[in-house]
Amino acid sequence: MENLDAARLQMAFTLIFHIVFACIGMVMPFFMVVSHYKWLKTRNQVYLTLTKAWQKGVAIFFVTGAVSGTALSFELGLLWPEFMKHAGPIIGMPFSLEGAAFFVEAIALGFYLYGWNKLPEKFHWVTGIIIGLSGVASGILVVAANGWMNAPTGFDYIDGKFTNIDPVQAMLNPAWFTQALHMTLAAFTATGFAVAGIHAYQVYKKRKIELHTKAFKIALTFAAVAAILQPISGDISAKDIAERQPVKLAAMEAHYHTEKGAPLYVGGIVNEETQEVSYKIALPGMLSFLAFGDFDAEVKGLNDFPEDERPNVPMVHYAFQIMVGIGSLLFLVGILYFVSLKKKKWLNNNKYWLLFVLVAPLGFIALEAGWIVTEVGRQPWIIHKIMRTKDAVTPMPGIVVSFYTYIVVYLTLSVAVTWLMLRQIKVLNHSNH
Amino acid sequence: MLYVVLFFLAFSLYLYVVLGGADYGAGIVELFSSEENQKITKKTIYRVMGPVWEANHIWVIILIVILWIAFPEYYNIMVISLHIPLTIVLLGVTLRGVAFVFRHYDAVIDKSQKLYDQMFKVSSLITPIFLGIVFGALISGNIKITDDISTLTFYDAFIAPWFNAFSILVGLFFAALCAFLSSVLLIGESESGKENIYIRKSAIAAIVVFVVGFVTLGYGYLIDNVFINGFVSNPFALICVTLSAVLLIPLWKMIRKGNKVWSRSFAGLQVFFILLAALGAHFPDIIITTNGSINLLENSAPESVIKVLGISLIIGGAVILPGLFHLLKSFKMIKILDRDNNPLI
Repeated sequence: MENLDAARLQMAFTLIFHIVFACIGMVMPFFMVVSHYKWLKTRNQVYLTLTKAWQKGVAIFFVTGAVSGTALSFELGLLWPEFMKHAGPIIGMPFSLEGAAFFVEAIALGFYLYGWNKLPEKFHWVTGIIIGLSGVASGILVVAANGWMNAPTGFDYIDGKFTNIDPVQAMLNPAWFTQALHMTLAAFTATGFAVAGIHAYQVYKKRKIELHTKAFKIALTFAAVAAILQPISGDISAKDIAERQPVKLAAMEAHYHTEKGAPLYVGGIVNEETQEVSYKIALPGMLSFLAFGDFDAEVKGLNDFPEDERPNVPMVHYAFQIMVGIGSLLFLVGILYFVSLKKKKWLNNNKYWLLFVLVAPLGFIALEAGWIVTEVGRQPWIIHKIMRTKDAVTPMPGIVVSFYTYIVVYLTLSVAVTWLMLRQIKVLNHSNH
Repeated sequence: MLYVVLFFLAFSLYLYVVLGGADYGAGIVELFSSEENQKITKKTIYRVMGPVWEANHIWVIILIVILWIAFPEYYNIMVISLHIPLTIVLLGVTLRGVAFVFRHYDAVIDKSQKLYDQMFKVSSLITPIFLGIVFGALISGNIKITDDISTLTFYDAFIAPWFNAFSILVGLFFAALCAFLSSVLLIGESESGKENIYIRKSAIAAIVVFVVGFVTLGYGYLIDNVFINGFVSNPFALICVTLSAVLLIPLWKMIRKGNKVWSRSFAGLQVFFILLAALGAHFPDIIITTNGSINLLENSAPESVIKVLGISLIIGGAVILPGLFHLLKSFKMIKILDRDNNPLI
């Protein structure tokens, strides 16, 4: 394996894990404080049991997210030293603020976890809110740094040198808002459906039905709202990419030839040789409309771009199809959930619960697919139109060794974390509240 | 503003060495304890470190982020030449963090605790040794600077900078220092009647720190190490080291008296002087390579970057430090004594 490929795979692999940990660590505190609020208001013991069960989840995911995040902060430099040498000072601002937000989160978490019966009740609850807010702030800041790689601003690039650096402008790059909005909603959708699915499974198995139904409702309310809002954010993102990174948009749609009134391809198999997409559903004029709000607008095809400036088209296209497909499905499931609140009878039907068990992992699959679209779609650039990924990689040979080490460590960790969570649920089901 | 950034860099380094160090040290103390004492230590560690241990380790992230923003050249040399020890540190940090959570938050207490304990103890020893090796490598004079690293052999470029007796001695020194800090901290936190365990440990650790420190200096002097030569001929560094050694006397008195605030303050002050000596001896040249030193002040990011970073650090510090102080203070006053009262167990 080439050093560049090994480094890219290692980065992708660690990010895929970190994203899951970070999203759960960022969203679950909100479920926890809602349950905590209901406990304070109703004094129903079930909510207290649930809050305490969820806080363990928060603690475990916060730590795993924190250590995998620490690993990433080092890996950025270890794998991409040339990138960090130039980009580090420019995008340092969101990273330093993220460090601060993360610190606030750790402090609040210390207060929250250890503050039961020791801190004033309201103050204790507020520390839970702070955990959630600072977690979301961290997430947005990190995404802002990623946004800069897609839309580099805040410097002049003259003769291979970065001068006249403006870190604030770099942080508020044109991509930060669309990406952060899309990612925050995705985090709530993915975590909400996953957590709700776990509790739905318990109801399906008829274990502690009251507790798990309450848990399900809290998690799914967040998830459904986010899933219903997500298409709007997706539309904003598509229009933004059409402007800024037309080649990425073309790859997402496997759109090879520039044309007016371009059709939108749903699904399909990409043939790179013939530049054809077979077995697709083509919606005439829709791509032009979604990208520019005009059915007749011209959409640039991949052939308008030099061959060495195009990403891996099939991978980006398939990932995009998966993301949009799952997104649409979860949008419908979200609506179905709100309807079910009016139709109490449905809750007695086990198929209702089975549905939510089945969709539980989909949110995270869509979220990972979305990151593949944005990251693979950016290639061959590490900084869009400025620095190529292959010029940023470490000169140290043998990265493949560390890649395999990371695979072993992370896979072991995820097995262990899953096992630990199963044990938590088991104990929860045997507890008396 | 560059000095504000430098202050925060040194400040985070100091806090990481003291807080993170005591945290690593707890695992080392546990590793070198009898089976019965291991149980006592495990309980005490959880009580003391539980609420603050995440915060203890965020300092290293702050440190890395300041380095890459403000001193990109410096950071670049570090991540390329010291790729291997840094990767080992990372794996250590990961395994240790996970082991800590597992052994304290696992809903079921059974045989798997043994595995978590082993993971925790071993990674608590290995991680600080390699952190020390990284610092030792930066000052060892073995890092090669070249425009084209592919002209060097793999050994010269990626192994020799850190795999040498001097760097390894610095690594051992740092691990001993962690154990020392932790023992002093644990004296004040142990249940009554158990203090003697940690008093003995801190005495042993102090001797090890002293011996390894002396050997490192002596060895460096013998091999004509640039850093050590500068160190021993620098009156400022010598005064700092002497002060640090002299502080052992009041420290010992305070331990005997059972005064935890002063005994911890003295131990913290000792580390402060050691660090001040190490950084001050060659300031502003902190990386020493085969072809000379790299000046920290002359290799910083552009002024506009430093200005924004300085302001962010001041604001961040103003938000974080009072909160952190309050956290530490609250949980010193509020004792979490037994497992029954603890929602997490």
